[in-house]
Amino acid sequence: MQVLSYSGSQLVDLCSALLLLTCFAIVAQRRLSACVDLFALQSAFLVVTTALVAYLTGNQHLYIAAALTGVIKVIIIPRVLKKVIDRLNVKRELVMCVNVPAGLLICGGLVMLAFFISQPIIPLGFLLTRDSLAIALAIVLIGFFTMIARQKAVTQLVGFLVLENGLFLGATAATYGMPLIVELGVFFDVLIATLIAGIYTNRLQDAFDSVDTNQLTVLKE
Amino acid sequence: MIAVAALVVAPLFAGGLSLVVHRSALLHAINLMSMGTLVAAEITITRTVLRDGPFTALDQLVYLDALSSFILFIIGAVGLACSFYMCSYMDEQVARGVIAPTRLNLFFFLFHMFLLAMVVATIANSVGMQWVAIEATTLATTFLIAFWRRRESLEAGWKYLILCSVGISLALFGVVLTYYSSLHVLGDVSQALNVTQLLPVADRLNPHVLKLSFIFILVGYGTKVGLVPMHSWLPDAYTEAPAPVVAMLAGVLEVVAVYAILRMRTIVDHAVPSDFTGGLLALLGFASFMTAALFILIQHNYKRLFAYSSIEHMGIAMIGFGVGGPLGTFGGLFHLLNHAFAKSMAFFAAGNIHRRYHTMEIGHVQGLAAAQPWTAMALMISGLALSALPPFASFASEVHVVTALASQGVPGMPFTSTGGMVSFALSDQFGRIALTAVFLISAVLAFGGLMYRMTGMVWGTPPEGVLREETWTLGHLPVILLAGALVVFGFFLPPPIQQLLEQTTMLLVIQ
Repeated sequence: MQVLSYSGSQLVDLCSALLLLTCFAIVAQRRLSACVDLFALQSAFLVVTTALVAYLTGNQHLYIAAALTGVIKVIIIPRVLKKVIDRLNVKRELVMCVNVPAGLLICGGLVMLAFFISQPIIPLGFLLTRDSLAIALAIVLIGFFTMIARQKAVTQLVGFLVLENGLFLGATAATYGMPLIVELGVFFDVLIATLIAGIYTNRLQDAFDSVDTNQLTVLKE
Repeated sequence: MIAVAALVVAPLFAGGLSLVVHRSALLHAINLMSMGTLVAAEITITRTVLRDGPFTALDQLVYLDALSSFILFIIGAVGLACSFYMCSYMDEQVARGVIAPTRLNLFFFLFHMFLLAMVVATIANSVGMQWVAIEATTLATTFLIAFWRRRESLEAGWKYLILCSVGISLALFGVVLTYYSSLHVLGDVSQALNVTQLLPVADRLNPHVLKLSFIFILVGYGTKVGLVPMHSWLPDAYTEAPAPVVAMLAGVLEVVAVYAILRMRTIVDHAVPSDFTGGLLALLGFASFMTAALFILIQHNYKRLFAYSSIEHMGIAMIGFGVGGPLGTFGGLFHLLNHAFAKSMAFFAAGNIHRRYHTMEIGHVQGLAAAQPWTAMALMISGLALSALPPFASFASEVHVVTALASQGVPGMPFTSTGGMVSFALSDQFGRIALTAVFLISAVLAFGGLMYRMTGMVWGTPPEGVLREETWTLGHLPVILLAGALVVFGFFLPPPIQQLLEQTTMLLVIQ
C-alpha cells in the first residue's frame, strides 16, 4: 500500500510537471494556432491528472470533472479559438512585450516564487499530491504573465485559460476537487467567458481592424 | 422560505419573459414587477433575520444573516430606483435610435441575469457558489457595458471582461485554499465550503493557509470593487456604460464584492488576529482613497469624475472596516449604503445630462440650472452628498470612520510581520495623527475637485441649441426619493435599518 501510494504520488507529480512544461512551451511559441494546440495538450494532461487522482483516491466525482475538462477544454474551447483565428486571418504572433528567452527566464523565476510562497503550507497536504499545489500556483502565475506579455486578444484569452487550468490542478491536487456543484459552476463560467471573449474578438476586429490590444488606447487619462 | 425562493425565481422568470416579449411597456412592467417581488421578499427576510437570527434554507444552499440582509436591502433599493429610471431612459434611447428596438430584449435579459447573479452571490451559503455567481456578474455585465457598440464601449467592455475575470480567478485560488484548510478539520464532506460549516470550526483552521487565502480573495474581489491598484478597468467601464447600468455597477455590484470580502473576513478573523485582515483592508483603502482624490482633480469627463469618486468612497469604507471596532465597522457599512444611494443618483443625473447635451466633457456642459432644473438639483445634491457635507448621511458615516481612525489608528500587523522597514507603529499617537491628517487632506481634495466641476456645470448659460425645459417623467421619482433618504438618514435612521446595521456590525466585530 505504501509503495502504491508512493508511486501514485510520483505519477501525479509527473503529470503536474508536464502541465507546467506545456506552460513554458506556450510562452516560447510565437504561432497563434500552435498556442491553441498546446493549450489543448495541457488540458489533456489535466484530464489525465484528474483521472489519476480519481483512481488513486476513489473519489467518483473527480471522474465527472475529468470528463468535463475533456469535453470543454480539450475539444470545444480549442475549436472555438481555431474558428476565431481563422476568421481573423492572423497566423503569426509578432507582438511581444518581452522576447522569448527573457520570458522563459521570468517564468523560471515565477516557478521559484510559487514554491517559495507555498513552502509553509505544503506539509499540511495529503501525502499523494502535496507538491502539485506549488506547481499549480506556478501555472497560475505563468498564465498571469502570459496575459501581460502578449498583446493579441486571442493570446490573452489563452493566458486566461492556462491560468484556469492551473486553478483546476490546484483544486484537484490540494483538495481532491471542489464540491461538485461548485466545479460545475466554474466550468459553466469558463465556457461562457470563452464564448463571450470570442464574440468580442470578432467585434474588436470589425471596429478596430485589429485584435492588437495595444490599439485599445482611446480611453485613457 | 417562499421569500427565499422568490428572490431567485423573480429575476429568472422575468429574464426569460424579457426574451419573448416585444412591447417596451410590457418589458418595463415585467421589470418593475420582478423588482417589486424582490423588494417584498427582502423585507420579509430581513424581518425574519431581525426577529429569529440567521437561518439556512433550501437544503443548506442558502444562508441568510444580518450581513446578507443588509446587502439585499441595498440591491433592492438601488435596483428599484434603477427600474423606475429605466422607464424613461430606455424608451428615450430607443426613440432617438441609439438602441435598436430589437435589442431592448437583450438589454432586459442581461439586466435580470445580472440581478440574479448578485442575489445568488449574496445569499449563497457556499463560498464556492458565491465565487461562481460573482464571475457570472462579470459575464452578464460585459455586454451591458459595451451596449452602445462604439469603439470606446467595446474597448471598455473587453478590458472589464479580461481584468475582472483574471482578478476573480485569483479569488478562486483563495477559495481553493480555504477548502484545503477546511478539509483538514471537517474531513471530506461536500459542504466543507459552506459558511455554516466553516464558522463553528474557524478557530481550528490553519492560520498560514487562511492568511494566504485571504490575500488572494482580497486581491480578486478587490478588482471587482475597483480598489487601487486593481482599478484600471473601472473609469473606462463607468464612462461607456449606459446610465442605469452604471448606477447598478457603482451602487450595487461594488457592494456585493465588498460583501464577499467581508464574509471571508468573518471566517479568517477567527483563526488569525483581526489585525492582519484589518491592516490589509486599511492599506488598500488608503491607497484607493488617496489615488482617487488626486485623480478627481484632473478629470474633464463627468462620468469619469464620478467613477473616481466611487473608488474614493470604496476606499473610505475599506478604511472603516480596516480600522475596525464597532465604530469603524458601523461607519464603513453605513458609508456603503450612503454611497450606493448618492452614486446611483449622480449617474441618473449624468444620464439626463448626456441625453440633453450629447457630450461627456465637463467644459461643454454649462447652464444646467436653466436647461434642466431638476437634474441640476439632483447633480448638486449628489455632489454635496459625495463630498460628505452635512446635512447628508454620508457626512455622518464619514465622521464615524474618521473618528474611529483618529482614536484607534490602523492595525499594523501585516507590515510588522513582513519586515522591519515599514513597521513603525501605525497605531501609536503620531501614526494616528498622521493618518487622520492624510484622510482629511484627501477628503478636502476630493471635495474641492467635485464641487469645482459641478458648479461649473450647473451655473452659466446653456450653449446654443440646448433645449431649456425639463418635463416631469417617471425617471425623476427615484432621484427625489434617494435625495430624501440621504437627508433623512443623516438625522434619523429608521429603526429596522438601525437594527440591521447594528446586528451586522456585531457580526463583523470579533472580540
